[in-house]
Amino acid sequence: MLTIEGLEAGYRGSRVLNGLDLEVAEGRIAALLGRNGMGKTTLMRALMGLVPVAAGRVVFQGRDIAGLRPYAISNLGIAYVPQGREIFADFTVEENLRLGLVGKPGGAGAVPSAVYRHFPILAERRGQKAGTLSGGQQQQLAIARALVGRPRLLLLDEPSEGIQPSIVLQIAEILRTVAAEDGLTVLLVEQNVEMVLSLAADCAFIENGRVVARHAAAELARDREILHRYLAV
Amino acid sequence: MEQLFILTLDASNFILAIVLVAMGLVIIFGLMNVINMAHGEVFLLGAYTVVLVERAGGHFWLGLLLAPLVVGLVGLVVEELVVRHVYHRFLDTILATWGLSIAIKQAVVIAFGPASHTVTNPIAASIEIFGTPYPVYRLFIMAVAISVIGVTFWLFFRTAFGLAARGVIANRDMAACLGIDTRRLDRLTFAYGAALAGLAGAVMAPIMSVDPQMGLGFLIPAFLAILVGGAGHLAGPLLGAAAIGGTDTLTANLWSPVVAQIVVFTMAIVVIRLFPRGLAGRWLGR
Repeated sequence: MLTIEGLEAGYRGSRVLNGLDLEVAEGRIAALLGRNGMGKTTLMRALMGLVPVAAGRVVFQGRDIAGLRPYAISNLGIAYVPQGREIFADFTVEENLRLGLVGKPGGAGAVPSAVYRHFPILAERRGQKAGTLSGGQQQQLAIARALVGRPRLLLLDEPSEGIQPSIVLQIAEILRTVAAEDGLTVLLVEQNVEMVLSLAADCAFIENGRVVARHAAAELARDREILHRYLAV
Repeated sequence: MEQLFILTLDASNFILAIVLVAMGLVIIFGLMNVINMAHGEVFLLGAYTVVLVERAGGHFWLGLLLAPLVVGLVGLVVEELVVRHVYHRFLDTILATWGLSIAIKQAVVIAFGPASHTVTNPIAASIEIFGTPYPVYRLFIMAVAISVIGVTFWLFFRTAFGLAARGVIANRDMAACLGIDTRRLDRLTFAYGAALAGLAGAVMAPIMSVDPQMGLGFLIPAFLAILVGGAGHLAGPLLGAAAIGGTDTLTANLWSPVVAQIVVFTMAIVVIRLFPRGLAGRWLGR
């Protein structure tokens, strides 16, 4: 459902992605692993249209989305949970969730109850300022905000960053349930190997803006040597 | 006592007119990070819309109704032709809108001449307040201003449009990633801010001399109100205008207009020194 071919992108004066190829199959949870500075976040931002694509194709559900503006990409059914969460700290939890809806066609309605069912803590805190939530709760809010618009593809950038290990596994569990229920496709960028192994089916490794290896998660769980090869500093 | 009441009414009048002008400025600055130096001329265009309508034989009320629409439309065109090309270059927006303000002013001089025009006062009656006659039209201006402030707050804090606009103000990129069309919001809010100033110009026209310089008299206090009140919150211009307008009217009445200018500017400097983010930033957080 998502095919990336020869993607080149970057910032003024420095190209970060150098012909990246990646495929994510419908309904699968795929993970992209790699060390810092290899281009993981740039890939996510390029997919969302926040970083201009210099060359290559990004085909989502049969349509080339490279060059579209972020809001158009979002309205095609791609949701984004950025690194550092970027929740609206001065807005209430419910306003944050409604912001995931207001831009959608015909979407000024109420927050779907399924979202509160998956994230009960957000229902409890719905009138509270989002900035007062703990890190793990803010991450749940960022994910829930991405899900309210009923996306087909979810882009998750480092969801475990700065969160206690027990909460990380809890969030992974919720994500697995949601993805299975809605047939959601997920592309996850992570450094936390435990989260990747507990969530993803397919893994790819990125180095200097290119995908250099692909493995099934089960394979990685058996043979940690592979992980070591691509992730060790 | 009566003296004080009339003075308060006069102050409120000035304050509310500043708020109408300042609110448009703050909305545009908050959303697009553009300091619109042409905002005073937008005010001017509102007043001249009324002049034009009256010249064509139309009634004042028709002019008042048309002014925000016409000026809002001008705002749309200006946004499309000028502002959107420079809005990510902060300094250039100041230069571009400053140039625009000169161009509008000269266009008005060419079209209407440099002399001042008068607009008929549609409600010439006075009402006795504590034995002193007070023009009813001034009360009407206050009612209009209060309604517009109410509508603006409702728009920004109670509607889906307002939520989206506040989202864009807080984090533009993230709002776009959530599917919010930021270009459309830019266009609409710029037009809305312009329409507010246009309405202010039209409603103030009967009690001012309508000439090409009239915008400046409101632009400067509006900018001061934003600096004093803070640009981070929609309530900023309200607090700032209350401080600026109140001080100005009070000092001008008890002393002289010249002393009032000195006091107002001194107060602005002191407030900015003590609260760099303005009074709203001090009390309301962000």
